[in-house]
Amino acid sequence: MTRRPGQPARPALVCGEVRTCLLASFQALDGRAAAGLLRLRADEHVRISERPNLYALSPETLTGVDCRLPTADGSKVRAVGTVAARAALTEGRLLQATAWFSAPAAGPDTRRPWGHYLVRPGVVEPFGRLPEQATAQGVLRGPGRGELDLGAVAEALLARLLRHPLLDRKVPFKSRRTHLRWVARRVPEGERAELTRFTLAEDGLRTVELRLPEDTPAAAAAGLCEDLALHDWLLTTVVHMLESGRFAAADGPVAVQALRPAVDHLLHLWMPHARVERSLVHLWEALEREPGFTRQWQNLVQRIRDQLAVQAIRLPHQALSTN
Amino acid sequence: MLIFAASDKGGTGRSVTSANLAYHRALAGDDVCYLDFDFGSPTASAVFDVADARLALEGGGLHSYLGGQVVEPERIDVWAVTEHQVLRDPPPGCGRLVLMPGDVGGGEFATTGDHVRLCADLLMKLSYEFDLVFVDLSAGRSYAVDMVLEATARPEMSQVTARWLVFHRWTRQHVAAAASLVLGERGIVAAGVDRGHDEEELRGAIRFVRAAVPDPESPLWSQVSPTQSAWLRKADADLKQLASAHGIGYSQVLGSVPLEPVLQWREQLITDEDVLDSQIANMETWQALSRLAARLTDDKHWEQA
Repeated sequence: MTRRPGQPARPALVCGEVRTCLLASFQALDGRAAAGLLRLRADEHVRISERPNLYALSPETLTGVDCRLPTADGSKVRAVGTVAARAALTEGRLLQATAWFSAPAAGPDTRRPWGHYLVRPGVVEPFGRLPEQATAQGVLRGPGRGELDLGAVAEALLARLLRHPLLDRKVPFKSRRTHLRWVARRVPEGERAELTRFTLAEDGLRTVELRLPEDTPAAAAAGLCEDLALHDWLLTTVVHMLESGRFAAADGPVAVQALRPAVDHLLHLWMPHARVERSLVHLWEALEREPGFTRQWQNLVQRIRDQLAVQAIRLPHQALSTN
Repeated sequence: MLIFAASDKGGTGRSVTSANLAYHRALAGDDVCYLDFDFGSPTASAVFDVADARLALEGGGLHSYLGGQVVEPERIDVWAVTEHQVLRDPPPGCGRLVLMPGDVGGGEFATTGDHVRLCADLLMKLSYEFDLVFVDLSAGRSYAVDMVLEATARPEMSQVTARWLVFHRWTRQHVAAAASLVLGERGIVAAGVDRGHDEEELRGAIRFVRAAVPDPESPLWSQVSPTQSAWLRKADADLKQLASAHGIGYSQVLGSVPLEPVLQWREQLITDEDVLDSQIANMETWQALSRLAARLTDDKHWEQA
C-alpha cells in the first residue's frame, strides 16, 4: 500500500444496530428526568429538545473491540477500533440504543497502539483490505460466535439504562423490542444518499441498506435509522395490539381497555423525520411512497378512533334499552 | 407475570403440564414465553415438537446466555417452526408462543453472582414483553430453583408478580416430598427467606398442582371390581387427609390434572383435535388444563387462606 501512515483510507462502510423499546416507567419521563437517565458520561451533556416533541439524546460512549468482523462468505477479517453507542428517549416514552462503527476500505496489517484508535472514535479498522459486500451482508445477517456484535453493545446499553433507579420498572402495557440493523455503503461526495432496501424479518428484526455520500457523518445515518426504527416500532406495536386475541374477541369495555394504551401513550408519537439531517430527509419520502409508513399509521389511528366511536355509541343505546 | 414450575421428583408431569398451560394461555390470546430452566435434561423442544437439531448447531440457548457467551438466548416461535400439524395452524386471535430452550448437552451449573444478574435481567425483560412467562425448573431444590429465588429477591424485581406451581403425583411419597420441597427445612420457602423474600408473601405465591390423579368416578375405572373400586376411594380419601396433614391441603391446591393415557405415554401438547376429532385424549383433561390455565391469573385462587 502506498499511502502514508496517518492518512485516512477511503471510508467504505458504516454499520449499525438500533434497539427500540418502551421505557419501563409507568409515567412518561419529563425533560429533567430524561436528562438524568441519559447522563452516560460526566464530561458531556445530554442534549434535550422540546420542539416539535420532547427528545433527549445521550452523549456517545465508546467500546473498544478487537475481533473478527461478521462476513457473509466466511472470510476471516480481524478488525480493531471502537464502536460508538448512544441512547435516545422520545417523549419520555420510547427508549432507543444504537451502536455503530465506520470502516475504511483498508487498514494497516498490524495492530497499532491504542492511542491510534482512540483518536478515531467510532472507527473500526480492518487488517488489510475490507471485503465490503461480505461484511455488509454479514452485519445484516447477524454475527456468529466471536464476531463483532453491534446488537450486544446496544443491548448492554439498554440493560444499563433500564436498571436506572429513576425508573419504577412498571410498563403501562406489554410490547416487544425491535432490532434494526443497517449498513451504509459510502459513495463519493456529491452523490445523492439513497435507501436501497428496507425489510421486515422474523422476530422483530428489520434491515436497512443505504448509500451514503462520504461527507455525511456516520452519526447522521444513525439518526436516520433511529427515526426509522422508532416509527417502525410504533407500527409494529399498534398492529400487534389490534391483531391480538384480546382485542379481536372483545367487545364493549374490554375492547376499549385493550385500545386505551395506544391512545394514552402512542398515538401522539408519530412524527417522521423530525430530527433527521436535511440531506437525508428525502430517504423518508421514498418510504412514504412505498410502502407508505404514514399511510398505514393513519389507517391504524382511524381504526382505533372508529372503534372507540362505535363503543361510545353503544353506551347511550344501552342506557335507553334498559329503561 | 412469572410462573415458576417446580417439583420434587422427576416424572411428575411438571414440564408437560406447564407446557400445556402455556399453550392454553396462548390460545386464549395471551403472549406467552416458555423458558426451559430444566438444565439437566431440557425437554421442552420435544413437548412443543420443535426439532432441536439447529440448537445443537448454534448453541445459543439459555445455558450459553447464563454462562455469558451470548447476549440473548435463542427464541423459537413455536407456531412457526413446530412439526406438530395442529400447532402449525394456530387459530386467529391467539397470542405469541415463544420457547427459549436450553442448550443441547448443557448441564446443571452452580449459581454465581453473574448468573443471577443475567437471570434477573432476562426475567425482567420478558415480563415487559409477555403477558405470561413460564419457567420450567429442574426437579428438587436445584440450582435453577436457587437461581430464580435469588433473582426474584433482587430489589429491581419487586414490581414483577411471580407465582409458583409445585407439581406432584397423587401418591403418598409424592405428597410428602412436595410438602417438604416447599415447607421443609431446606425447602423453597426457607431458601427464599434466606435470600430476602418475605415468608408470608412467598408462601402465598405457591400453589400445588396434583398431576396424573386417577378419578374413581372416571369411566377408566368403571370396569374394576367392587373391592378395587372401594379401595380406590379409600386410598383417595387417605391421600387427601395426608395432604392436609402436610399443610398442602385443598386451600393450597390450584387444581389437578386427571390421569391421562396420552400424557403417560408421550409428553405432548393436548390439542382440541386430540379431544374432539381423533378423541385419543379425554375431554376431562382438556377441561382441567383449561381451568388451571385460567386460574393462574385469577386472584381469587391466590388469596391467603
